[in-house]
Amino acid sequence: MNEHRRLSRRGLLQSLATAAGLAATAGFGAATNLLPQQSQVSGDEKSLPTFTGPAPNPYWNSVGPVVQYPQKFPLVLLTDRPIQLETPRHYFETAFTPNGAFYVRWHLDEIPNAVDLSVWRLSVEGSVERPLKLSMSDLTSKFKPLSVAAVNQCSGNSRSKLQPRVPGGQWGDGAMGNAKWTGASLRELLDSAKIKPDALAVQFQGLDKGKGPEGRGSHEFLKSLDLKDSVLDDSIIAYAMNDEPLPMLNGFPVRLVVPGYFATYWVKSLSFIRVLDKADENFWMKTAYRVPDTPRGNTNPEDVKGGKVRTVPITRMPVRSFIVTPNGEKKLIAQLPVIIRGIAFSGYGSVNKMEVSVDNGKSWASAQLGEGHGPYSFRTWSIAWTPPHPGRYVLAARATDGKGNVQPDEGVWNPGGYLWNRIEREQVVVGRAS
Amino acid sequence: MRYTTVWLIVVFTGFTAAAARLMYAQFDAGQYSQKNSGAIAQPAPPAEADGASYSVTAYPLYPPELAPGAGREAVQSYCATCHSTRYITMQPPLPPETWAAEVDKMIKVMGQPIPEDVQPVIIKYLQAHYTPENRKR
Repeated sequence: MNEHRRLSRRGLLQSLATAAGLAATAGFGAATNLLPQQSQVSGDEKSLPTFTGPAPNPYWNSVGPVVQYPQKFPLVLLTDRPIQLETPRHYFETAFTPNGAFYVRWHLDEIPNAVDLSVWRLSVEGSVERPLKLSMSDLTSKFKPLSVAAVNQCSGNSRSKLQPRVPGGQWGDGAMGNAKWTGASLRELLDSAKIKPDALAVQFQGLDKGKGPEGRGSHEFLKSLDLKDSVLDDSIIAYAMNDEPLPMLNGFPVRLVVPGYFATYWVKSLSFIRVLDKADENFWMKTAYRVPDTPRGNTNPEDVKGGKVRTVPITRMPVRSFIVTPNGEKKLIAQLPVIIRGIAFSGYGSVNKMEVSVDNGKSWASAQLGEGHGPYSFRTWSIAWTPPHPGRYVLAARATDGKGNVQPDEGVWNPGGYLWNRIEREQVVVGRAS
Repeated sequence: MRYTTVWLIVVFTGFTAAAARLMYAQFDAGQYSQKNSGAIAQPAPPAEADGASYSVTAYPLYPPELAPGAGREAVQSYCATCHSTRYITMQPPLPPETWAAEVDKMIKVMGQPIPEDVQPVIIKYLQAHYTPENRKR
């Protein structure tokens, strides 16, 4: 690109020399209109395709345009109503994702543009002895503030890599982010509402609404967790994200944080906590966000068609890691050392081993792990590498979590496009040093 | 005298154009597109008078260009009730039966009331423009 620029400038100087003496600035503007149409280098031909498939999406991010939204940096557009935006790759150079860069995924189109905290209350209702209506100041003053660094990853992150492709949000790898979440303990809040003994589950609902008929998934987004699930003890009702109020698009004023679990449970603009005395049969629990009850949630189209696949609600995130730099966009130089960097995480506890390959997974070397921010955070990693010769190299990264789960080198397939955690690769080109 | 002036202007313009042509052959500039106008207003600084209200500006829309063809209007009016038609253009090319199943899901599961005579129009449109065999944009 730079080289191209420089060459162009030299060419320009030459033509200026040819045209010396005709320094007619007046003619400059007019002459532009006389030019033949030269749109061969138009933005379109230099930009990504507008869609990928039926092969896997070969890019790190999804291929949509980069767009601007309130309180957000430019992000990759998936859909504009409801809003779904993906975080560009370079924001993962650090363990914490900036709020402005944090991806966005809403299920319904009527989402808040404004919230008046003098009116807004978080209600705790249903099978409880003492229903509550809590203001923001109740949440910050009556409950002990807890903080946790936790990865929020969409269940369908990397969906565009599945083969065969499945319908749904065609995310690349950027439907994830890590933040320091601060808020009230969910357990403490439920205890203060005194759950009745017959209670089974706790349901969460935000301020979002859809235009579909009542009782359908297109009208309300509802998620619930089993009251016996120990994840409730780690969950918080977050009013701060990276020590700031939440961006409107990430769930202002408060959102549920369920460390280790996929983001589908992290209800945004959380306003209703309903304790249920029977199982939650709503669309978002009974039909959507379910995965095959098989190892890795893997199945195939034939078994799905044959009705052979039993499903369960999606829960914890399998171990994953990503190469962030080098990103393949520019050539490396032979014999010049570079640092390969990335992030890793697991919903099953800290990543404690990180390996990198520069020969497409034939051999592996241990990378150095960055500072730990707790079991549910991104962990950065790095390893120095000196490309020995010019040529093409395929880098690969493989994480192992505290439970001994190692990232596999096989893809996964299920009709929802969930749970992708295959070893990631990056192809780099190395040029001659002289 | 007058002819000389005209002649001079003709020669001058000709030279200028030729020079500009030479210059412009070396690079490419001045390309703008209205295709993806995503301009949003910059927010005003918050006013104290808003008290406990916290707000953002209206969310921008980025409508996609749906493939021209029979059924496009039906798609725009029935599918866009709940969601933008970017939900269509975002998908990879999908087999015809998957598009039929998606429309069926929107009617039966999501509850969108699409008249029976319009359902095949919508399905045919999606199958005519968004499968591996025929998707172009």
